Amino acid sequence: MNLSRDLEFLVDSVVPQARDNDGLRDELAQHCQDILRSHIGQNYDPDLGHLTTLVKKHLLQHSPSGSSSVKFTNLLSRLLDQSVLTRKHAAILFLHSLASSQPSQSSQLAFLPSLDIPPSRQPFSHAPRTPIEVSNGMATAKGKGKSRAQILSEYRAKMGRPPLPEQRLLRDALYLLQGISGKHVHFSSHKDNGTHLVNELSFVTDPKYEISEATKALIHRLSEVGYLYKRVQTYVKERENVAEMGMIEQSLCHHLQARLTDYYRFIAVLESQMSGTLASESPSAPEEEIGLTLRRLDVWINDWRLRMRMMSVCVESARDSHGGALVNIIHGYTENGDPFVRKFTDQLLEDVSKPFFATLHKWLFSGELYDPYLEFFVAMDPSLAHMQYAHPSSLSGGINQLSSDGGFAGPFNDSDDMSGDREGGLKLWEAKYKFQKEMLPMFVGETFGRKIFSTGKSLNFIRYSCHDSDWVATREKMNNTGGSLKYSDIAGLERSIDAAYQVASGRLFDVFLDKFKLLDHLRALRQYLLLGHGDFADQLMEALAPSLRRPANTLYRHNLTATLETAIRCSNAQHDPQDVLRRLDARMLEYSHGEIGWDVFTLEYKIDAPLDTVVDPESMVKYLQLFSHLWQMKRVEGILSIGWMRASKDVESFLRIADLEQEWHRIRLASAEMLHFVRQMQAYSQLEVIECLWKELCEFLQKKEGDLDAMIDAHRSYLDRMVKKMLLVSPKAGKEYNVLNQVKEVFHDILQFRDAMDTFYNHCLSESARRDRGLDGERGVVTGLEGDSDKSQELLKVYQKVKEYSSSFSDRVHSIVQSLQSHSDLDVRFMGTRLNFSDFYRSKREHPTQRGTLH
Amino acid sequence: MSTTKEARRLDSAQQTLDILYDISQLLNTQLDKDTLATCIGMIESGVNPEALAAVIQELRRESSSLNQTNNRQARQ
Repeated sequence: MNLSRDLEFLVDSVVPQARDNDGLRDELAQHCQDILRSHIGQNYDPDLGHLTTLVKKHLLQHSPSGSSSVKFTNLLSRLLDQSVLTRKHAAILFLHSLASSQPSQSSQLAFLPSLDIPPSRQPFSHAPRTPIEVSNGMATAKGKGKSRAQILSEYRAKMGRPPLPEQRLLRDALYLLQGISGKHVHFSSHKDNGTHLVNELSFVTDPKYEISEATKALIHRLSEVGYLYKRVQTYVKERENVAEMGMIEQSLCHHLQARLTDYYRFIAVLESQMSGTLASESPSAPEEEIGLTLRRLDVWINDWRLRMRMMSVCVESARDSHGGALVNIIHGYTENGDPFVRKFTDQLLEDVSKPFFATLHKWLFSGELYDPYLEFFVAMDPSLAHMQYAHPSSLSGGINQLSSDGGFAGPFNDSDDMSGDREGGLKLWEAKYKFQKEMLPMFVGETFGRKIFSTGKSLNFIRYSCHDSDWVATREKMNNTGGSLKYSDIAGLERSIDAAYQVASGRLFDVFLDKFKLLDHLRALRQYLLLGHGDFADQLMEALAPSLRRPANTLYRHNLTATLETAIRCSNAQHDPQDVLRRLDARMLEYSHGEIGWDVFTLEYKIDAPLDTVVDPESMVKYLQLFSHLWQMKRVEGILSIGWMRASKDVESFLRIADLEQEWHRIRLASAEMLHFVRQMQAYSQLEVIECLWKELCEFLQKKEGDLDAMIDAHRSYLDRMVKKMLLVSPKAGKEYNVLNQVKEVFHDILQFRDAMDTFYNHCLSESARRDRGLDGERGVVTGLEGDSDKSQELLKVYQKVKEYSSSFSDRVHSIVQSLQSHSDLDVRFMGTRLNFSDFYRSKREHPTQRGTLH
Repeated sequence: MSTTKEARRLDSAQQTLDILYDISQLLNTQLDKDTLATCIGMIESGVNPEALAAVIQELRRESSSLNQTNNRQARQ
């Protein structure tokens, strides 16, 4: 056989003695064959580059100049050019392994002492055969120079307390990593001052062996992981038994459990490594390549140390916070500068935030809050949970309500249901769900949190109170097929939030404007309660005036509503939609003794769910307030108009009292002044306040921006500003209604003036008749009973009253103008200027003589 | 024709062996040219290089121990 011949040749050439000795040669050849058949070098790696590097390294160690390494590169490239050899790599490997097993290798070990197993724990007898020669060679080369470690270990050996073999400690260390006390090292905990539980590591003192301080420190370092592991594991175990546990905590536990399983796997690998170490005591395999040592353990466990630390921190924080707050705490660690920790926390968060995103998905796309453990940042008020935004009174007429005729069976609906049940809509909208900032995960951000909150609320609202759940369901289905929400895709999350927000808000606007005709109702409120329909208001006033003059307790509601119907039918209001007209109602406020119809009459517009979310009862009160103000103005204007006709036309036609001409002229002047006042007030209210604000509101509603909250706010500000401007509310605290009260007194003066004027007119009429009779008597015609005395004294007395009222009016208007001039609102101030056109009401002191009042 | 080819092959084999010998010298393997040629031949025929290195090593050790005993015997 070729191989054996080659071998024999080799034996001959290397061992010259065997040339003559056949027995020796055969023996050696046999031995060589055994070696070749053994498993040495079965697993070399076929990477020529790596091998080249190894060879170069070897060369550099022997000749640091680098010239031989260059030479090697040169030779190698030439060798590669040759075509004869098929196994160049193997040839080089052969040469290299031969070279590196030369005795000179000993110096290599000396170069890298850190990789060597510490001599203190490696008794000399254990060293493989070649290193024996090496160390012997070294010892002889260095002569008497012994390293300190050697001296120390020799000393220890002399004292009879050799260091504990590392293998035993390793076994213990592996136990420690699993949180179990080992044979030589224990976990122990004792109470410190009776309060603090101190965990520490205790070493069993063995008289036979000694553990060096350095090793102890190493063990301490290793045992940290074990301690942390114990903590995490205890937490997970503990939580397994808790029934009421939040979903976020559950997923945290799940993630931790998964990590712990990885950890077990890792420990198992370590253990197999260790058994490898035990087995590899055979000389053939160099120990430093595959074995496990404490130091290696320390290095390998490093990653896990970091992981365990993070896990234990999470566990600690999970004890006293839950839900979104927990996510927040974990999120805080993602800002860590260490990419390893960051990656770990990201993974953790990805898992932990899963239930959060599931809840979020449900909330964002279907408006349902599924949060059994109160972990979401949206919380539901449990007392309102079962209220479904529906008007309670509609329970009887639910079908009616769905067909949007408002559930008003007739105008005689009991008006008292205003107070309690009707505040449902807005309260429900505002209070059913609460935004909890501390539960909001930070990676979402508060703006987006608000958007999410509002989106879900809108959907919920659409679903339950607008009875449009089909739409929501369809959308939910559409979104289920789309991408899911994840922590790792925050940008996508924000996009979906934005999209969902837009869609939900847009839909809510559509529902309100199209389905529930919010705009129609708001317009109706403006036309009826704010007297936008002038003809309707005139008609109503005219029809109602006679009955309103009577005491309040003689008024009957059916009369009022009948009159209202008449007024509607006589005016353009009849063209309004039936749904709107049906809601209009006339009624009386609570009245007390002595009040007349004018004081208690009010129009009313009924708004039902869900529109009462926007037009809530509170704003209805404001509407009514405005109505009563405008209604009063209207009344005063009407009365003044009648008075004006009397003072101008009737006086001309029926009264022929030349000496009272001047008095009547003055009355006309005063009336004109009052008319001016009232008309300016009316024009201001209608044109500058209502119209302008209405335009703003319409523009907002057309833009369809924002959510229901924005809509509520827009309406509220529309109404508030109207109240503020029309009722001339001043910003000074405590004096808000000063001007309004003055205006009311002015109205009162005007009414009094009109009454006095009527009385005066009547007296004038009778005086005129008396004079006529006198004239008739002179002519010899007896037209009535004689005996009337001259009434001019009485006439003057009555006139005095008229004068009194008009001057009081003038004074009051004067002071109103004064106070309006310093009003903070520009529109109001401008109104004051118009009242005081051409400086009519100049201050008394400046022009006491030029005032245009009656004297 | 065939002879020139054969000659060229031999020539290149010689060159290869020279290069390998140079490398061997560089690495201080203390192999002579013949032994090297034999070893390379064995490797070419599929012998594990590392095992072969171990063989050489073993033989050398054997040789030195034999030498020592011989010396000792000679001294005695």
